[in-house]
Amino acid sequence: MPEILAEIPLLTDLWNSTIGSLWDSTDTFRTQYFDFNILSDNDYENAKGVLEGFRETIKLSIIGGFLALAWGLVLAVLRQLPGKALAPVRGLTIAYIDAFRGIPLLLVLLLVSGSLGALAAEDVIPKDIGIPRWFGQPDPFWYGIIALTVTYGAYMAEVYRAGIEAVPQGQMEAARSLGMSHRQAMSRVILPQAVRKVIPPLLNDFIALMKDTSLVSVIGFVEVVQFGRDVQSETFNSTALSFGALLFLLVTIPLARLVDRLIARQQRRVGRSGGGGTAEPAPAGAAGTGQTGGPV
Amino acid sequence: MAGGALLQLEGVEKSFGGLHVLRGIDLAIDKGEVVCVLGPSGSGKSTLLRCINLLEPPDAGRIVLEGQQISGGAGEVGIDFVRRRVGIVFQQFNLFPHRSAIENVALAPQTVLGRGEGEARTKAAALLNRVGLADKLEEYPERLSGGQQQRVAIARALAMDPEVMLFDEVTSALDPELIKEVLDVMRELAEEGMTMIVVTHEMGFAREVGDRVVFMDEGVVVEEGTPKQVIDEPKHERTKRFLGLVLER
Repeated sequence: MPEILAEIPLLTDLWNSTIGSLWDSTDTFRTQYFDFNILSDNDYENAKGVLEGFRETIKLSIIGGFLALAWGLVLAVLRQLPGKALAPVRGLTIAYIDAFRGIPLLLVLLLVSGSLGALAAEDVIPKDIGIPRWFGQPDPFWYGIIALTVTYGAYMAEVYRAGIEAVPQGQMEAARSLGMSHRQAMSRVILPQAVRKVIPPLLNDFIALMKDTSLVSVIGFVEVVQFGRDVQSETFNSTALSFGALLFLLVTIPLARLVDRLIARQQRRVGRSGGGGTAEPAPAGAAGTGQTGGPV
Repeated sequence: MAGGALLQLEGVEKSFGGLHVLRGIDLAIDKGEVVCVLGPSGSGKSTLLRCINLLEPPDAGRIVLEGQQISGGAGEVGIDFVRRRVGIVFQQFNLFPHRSAIENVALAPQTVLGRGEGEARTKAAALLNRVGLADKLEEYPERLSGGQQQRVAIARALAMDPEVMLFDEVTSALDPELIKEVLDVMRELAEEGMTMIVVTHEMGFAREVGDRVVFMDEGVVVEEGTPKQVIDEPKHERTKRFLGLVLER
């Protein structure tokens, strides 16, 4: 029985005659997933550990997310280069995107972590790249960043592409007619519009990336999930993992709500510009509806 | 090549897949001339304009601008030469929706001509004033009427100091009450001596402002002459039939 209730006799009786026995019988079940003592013992050792693990998760998410956003944009632009001469570049970019959208992140992670060190040991690549320990972070951290960037860059390239294709063709024609080069038209006219259209699906991909950082635990990096797992195998109790799950939700749910809001705002805008004498076709909403092409 | 013509087209052809849209167009346009192009939809009028500024490179024939061959094999000058001398205004305006009116006008001079922001904006403001939009400098396209947007588009094309202005059915997407404000701007432009090729269905405009009218059908120039000759006394059966349908309204 909850301690607060025990101090009031009337409520104790009420409690005991109703759900009391059910509550007591589920005690083992409840403490398996949430036992405050597991977190508070030894001066909150485990609680601190979970929080520190989550800090690593956030670091992986922000650095990996930022690099994947940038790399994805580079890939999307390469894919849109004009002219026959650049067809090989387009082909290679498409092959890259297809490949990394089709390979599990875990596999990429193992490929990166298991091969770079070996190559460095054989002096095929410099040690600083083979066993990266930049900015005081351990090499599994950077292997994780590389795998996340390489894989999520491919997902995000597809999102950017949807945005670029949703910009009406007349925009490129108008820019080119004014004398702008393809590059100028892309950077000044097309991409600013395209990126605005795809902020919600990019955020969705970021949420997915954040959850996938937990895979980096497999190569020996202690982030929130790995720490929870360690506690679990020591104590046979899942509280540290539950606490980690709670921390994820504290970030992912507000982000998901933000995505909803941004989409709603875009749709209002589309509705408005549909009237007002513009003959322009409404910007394809498809880019903003959360079709990210990312992992589900 | 006819001496003195600013723009000269000889046997220009263009196909899209199996569709032969232009079947050999010959046309010479002098400096300061206003040529109105009439014709039923699908006759190749828009494609003709898009070939002149090389948005669609012609498949055959020659185009010569200011004595420089811009299309038609050896000795072609670059696309930049064309784009800086030929301005185009589209039926759908195609304003940049993420930029205000003044930024729409100033963007190309800044990026293409390397003008400073202050200089480009001063000139843009003057151009917008000229098309009657001095009070809309900072408005975004979505807050402007179709007629206002089209006038911004004209100012935007003028900002590059073109030698020739192409107008591709610029009033066709406008509500009837907004057409006049756009045509008025074009009329003033013509009076100031701008060389213009105007694809239009506005017979009144063609008659009043056009120095010459060209009637196109099925990818060829069927008839050309003064507005009086072509609109009031057409010789060809196809021209008569088209004008009969259009002027009936």
